[in-house]
Amino acid sequence: MTVDDPAGTRDVTAERWVEAARELRDSGFDFFDWLSAYDDSPAGLAVVARVWAVGRREGAILRTWVLPDGGALPTLTSLWAGAGWHERETAEMFGVTFTGHPDPRPLLLPNGFDGHPLRKDFVLASRVAKEWPGAKEPGESVAGRKRPPGVPAPGSWGPPA
Amino acid sequence: MSLPDRSRGVIALREESCTSCMVCARECPDWCIYIDSHKETEPAAGEGERPRTRHVLDRFAIDYALCMYCGICIEVCPWDALFWSPDYDHAATDVLGLVHERDVLGGWMSSVPGLTTESGG
Repeated sequence: MTVDDPAGTRDVTAERWVEAARELRDSGFDFFDWLSAYDDSPAGLAVVARVWAVGRREGAILRTWVLPDGGALPTLTSLWAGAGWHERETAEMFGVTFTGHPDPRPLLLPNGFDGHPLRKDFVLASRVAKEWPGAKEPGESVAGRKRPPGVPAPGSWGPPA
Repeated sequence: MSLPDRSRGVIALREESCTSCMVCARECPDWCIYIDSHKETEPAAGEGERPRTRHVLDRFAIDYALCMYCGICIEVCPWDALFWSPDYDHAATDVLGLVHERDVLGGWMSSVPGLTTESGG
């Protein structure tokens, strides 16, 4: 079992998302475990759901990809009501739209929050506000020009000054 | 209370192995390792040899208020200067008291199991 090919992962197209989920549910995967996503740039955002067959103690993972911007998937709440909160969190954290969701409000982020924090291109403000301890070169005690991974150059991001 | 001696309680520093290479400070996801160092030049050891520059550690500190005990610094250290120690009683009543400097980090080496060098415990 690897990250790229975990046991029991079923990759489907976005068009077959609900249909494949229904097939799983109808074949005994009655318990909705979780749904989330990961930034698989440049391929897009991978959306992953794990379900569980309580009776035979078997898990299955369903995975698909949506475009990084404006990606949309139909909701799974009609199959498992418990998918609702997971889809709300995935929507705000990654910017995936779950069409047909009965209550698409943000789950954790405050109203008006700008951006999707779990995308790789989201800049953590604390990483810019604090001096990076790794900016020093060996044998030196003042910060050099080396920048930490994932933090853009000053002035190249954020609202216009 | 007794714990397995391989418990991952706190991270200890074997200072004489550290070359101030900055790898741990750069790999740390929490940015909680602070290192200061300077260069010193040693005169040529003999005929036909050149002077050598070495790095001297001035400060090595870990902020345990930020550390998430992931152990990445121990994994990436090319010099085996960082170790898991089973010591766990480094709580403080002030958040600033959780920044532990190299003397404290070095003291935890005495509880690191399985070392055979004379610097280890």
